[in-house]
Amino acid sequence: MNNYESILIIDDELPIRRLLEISLEAAGFKVFLSKCGKDGIIDAATHNPDLIILDLGLPDLDGMDVLKDLRIWSDKPIIILTVRSQEEEIINALDAGANDYLTKPFRNGELLARIRAVLRSIKKIDKSSVIRIKNLEIDMVNRTVRNDGKLLKLTITEFSLLCILAKNAGRVLTHQYLLKNVWGYNYSEHTQYLRVFVAQLRKKIENNPSFPELILTESGIGYRFSE
Amino acid sequence: MIIRKNKLWFKILSGFRLWEYLLALFTIALVVCICVPISKISGYHIVSYLLLLVVVLLSAFLKTGPIMLASILSAVVWNFFFIPPFLTFKINETEDLLIYSLFFIIVIINGIFTTRLRHQKQKAIEGEEFTNALFILSRELSKARNISEAISIATIQIKDNFNVKAEFILQDGNNNLINTFLLDNTLRLHEFDICQYVFENQINAGKKTKLFSDCDKTFYPLKGNVIKPGVLVVEQNNSYNKKQQSFWDIYISLVTSALEREFLKEKALEAKILSESDKLYKVLFNSISHELRIPVATILSATDSLISTKNNKEITRELYLEISSATIRLNRLIENLLNMSRLETGRIAVRLDWYDIRDVLNKVHSELKEELISFNIRIIVQKDIPLVKIDFGLIEQAVYNVVYNSVQHSSKGTDIVINAAVKDKNLEIDIEDNGIGFSEKSLNYIFNKFYRSDIKRTGGLGLGLSIVKGFVEAHNGIVVASNRRNGGAKIKMKIPTDNPDFINIEIENE
Repeated sequence: MNNYESILIIDDELPIRRLLEISLEAAGFKVFLSKCGKDGIIDAATHNPDLIILDLGLPDLDGMDVLKDLRIWSDKPIIILTVRSQEEEIINALDAGANDYLTKPFRNGELLARIRAVLRSIKKIDKSSVIRIKNLEIDMVNRTVRNDGKLLKLTITEFSLLCILAKNAGRVLTHQYLLKNVWGYNYSEHTQYLRVFVAQLRKKIENNPSFPELILTESGIGYRFSE
Repeated sequence: MIIRKNKLWFKILSGFRLWEYLLALFTIALVVCICVPISKISGYHIVSYLLLLVVVLLSAFLKTGPIMLASILSAVVWNFFFIPPFLTFKINETEDLLIYSLFFIIVIINGIFTTRLRHQKQKAIEGEEFTNALFILSRELSKARNISEAISIATIQIKDNFNVKAEFILQDGNNNLINTFLLDNTLRLHEFDICQYVFENQINAGKKTKLFSDCDKTFYPLKGNVIKPGVLVVEQNNSYNKKQQSFWDIYISLVTSALEREFLKEKALEAKILSESDKLYKVLFNSISHELRIPVATILSATDSLISTKNNKEITRELYLEISSATIRLNRLIENLLNMSRLETGRIAVRLDWYDIRDVLNKVHSELKEELISFNIRIIVQKDIPLVKIDFGLIEQAVYNVVYNSVQHSSKGTDIVINAAVKDKNLEIDIEDNGIGFSEKSLNYIFNKFYRSDIKRTGGLGLGLSIVKGFVEAHNGIVVASNRRNGGAKIKMKIPTDNPDFINIEIENE
C-alpha cells in the first residue's frame, strides 16, 4: 500500500476527528480534517484527497447535500459515517454515490478494512478478467467459476450476480443496485428475486450455506462480497 | 314543547273539543225525547232520576266542560219540559221547587267532583310520565363510561323527550370552553361568544330569555355542584309552561350531574396517571443513572490506571479489555434507550421487504459471536423455508435481544436453540434456553418496560424484552414467554407474513 495516500475527514465532533487522525496516521495515511460541510467541500477541492470520510450529521449543511455536491466534480471514493438504525439514509447515500458506509460507533479495524477495500476496488477496475477470492476463482471471459479447482454449474443470472458482487468485493452493494444491474430497471422493487438467487448462489459457492462466508448480508441494506 | 307526540303534553293541552259538547247536547235531547212518554205514565219525578243517571254516566268519559253543560242543560230541560206548568221556567209547587233545587245541586256537585277527580288523575299520569322520563334518563346516563358517551346519551334522550336538537359545549378541565364545535360548523362564532358569556355568568341566554333574545338558539349553563361542565345549546320553537319549565330544569340538572361525575372521574384518572408517571420517572432515573455509572466508573478507573501507573503488559491488556467491555455495555444501553424512545414516540417505520430468515439469524449469531462462544448454540431452520416479509433491522434486534437475554440467564456450556419456520402464513421464531427460566410471578411482567426479574444478577435496564414486544407488534405479530418443561425459558415470536410472488420468474438452465 502506498504510504502517501491521503484521506479527508469531514466530521463536526472534535474527539472523533482526533481519534481518526491518530489511527489513520498510524496506519500510514496522510490526514486532512474539516469540521463542517462548507470547509469540507473547500478542503476536498484544495487537497484533492484519495478518499473522503464524510459524517452525514453535520451542523451547517446536510451531509447528503455535501455528498451530492462532491459527486458533481469528484469521483474520489467517499465513505459515510452515520448513526445506527437509519437504513434509509444509508441506502440513499449509497445510491447518491457513496462507496461505503460505517455506523457509529465503529471499531478502528473495521474502518481500516473499509478504507482499504474501497481504495483497492478503485485501483483494480478492469485490470484482470480472473478474480480469485478465498477458494473461489471466477473467469469472467470464459464465464467459469471454480471452487477449490472444481468447476461449478451456475445459471446465467447466478453468474452475473456473482460477477457484480465479486468485482466489488469488500464493498456494500444495495438491493436496488444489484436488482438493476442483474435483472434490469423493471425489477428494482422485486427483492424476492434477489433473495432466491442469493440463496441458490450460496448453496453452490459457500462451504456452509447456513453460515455464509463469501456473500455477507448487510442488515436491510444489501450484500457485501468477502475479500 | 311537545314530549313524544300523543303522549304527555298532548293530554295536558287537549283543550276545547266540539264533539264532546255536541254529544252532551245530543244525549240530553235524546233522553228528553224518551222521557216524554215515560213522564205521561209514571210522572215527571222519575225523569229527574233518569237525567241524573245519564249525567253521571256521561261524566265517566266526558271532560269537565261538556259535563257541566250536560248538568245545567238537564236541570233546565227538566224544569222547562216536565215540571208543570210545562214549557215555562216557572215552578208553582213548593215540593217541586225543593226537588228541583236538590237536583240542580246534585248535578253541579257531580260535575265538580268529576273535574277534580280528572284533574288528580291527570296530575298522577303527568307525574308518572315525568318520573319515567327521568328514570330512563338516569338509567341511560349511568351506562356512560366517559364524557363523550354521556353527551351522546344525553343528546339522544333530549331529542326523544323534547324533540329538540341539543348541543353541549364543554370546558377543557381548566374552565375554558372548548370551541371544537366551530370546526364542524354547528355553532357560529357569535354563538360561541354567547356560550362564553353564559358559561362565565351562569345565566340562561338566547331565544325566549332576556339576554340575546334575537338569537334562534337558547343557551343554558350546566350548573354543577363542584365544577361547571359547560353550556347546553338547544334549538327550540315551543314555549314552556311553568310545569314544563320545571321538568326541563330537573332534566338538565340530571344531565349536568352525570357530566360532572364523568368530569371528576376523568380528573381522578389524570391524577392517578400523573402520579404513576412520576413513579415511573423516578424508577427510570435511578436505574439509568445506576446502569450508566458502572461502566463509566470502570472506564475512568481503568484509564486512570493506564495513565498514571506503569503496569506490566498483561495488566495493561486487561485494563484495555475492561474499557472495551464497559464501552460495549454503554453502547448497548444507549441502543436500547434509543429503540425504546423510537417505540414510545411511535416513530417506528416498519420497512417490510422480502428476506431470507437465515440471514437474520446469522446476523444475530455473528453479532453475538463472543457472548455465544461458551454456549452450544443451534440454529434450526425449516427446510425450504419461504422468504418472509419483515423489517430486517427490527426482527434482527428482536431476536438479538432474546438471545442476549438467554446468554445472560443461562450457565455456560448449556444449549441455546433458535428454531425458525413458516406455518400458515406466519413466521414463527422460537428461542429456547436451559437457563433459570421465568418465575411464575414474573411471567406476566417480563415484557413491561423497566421490569427486571432479578436485579442483582445481571443488571440492565429491563428494556430488552419490551423492545422485542414493541418490534414484533409493529409487525402485527405476537410474542409469548413461557417456561420449558425441563427448565429454561422459551420465547415464541409469531409474525404474519405472506407468500412471495414469483409469477414472472424465469426458469433457467444451468
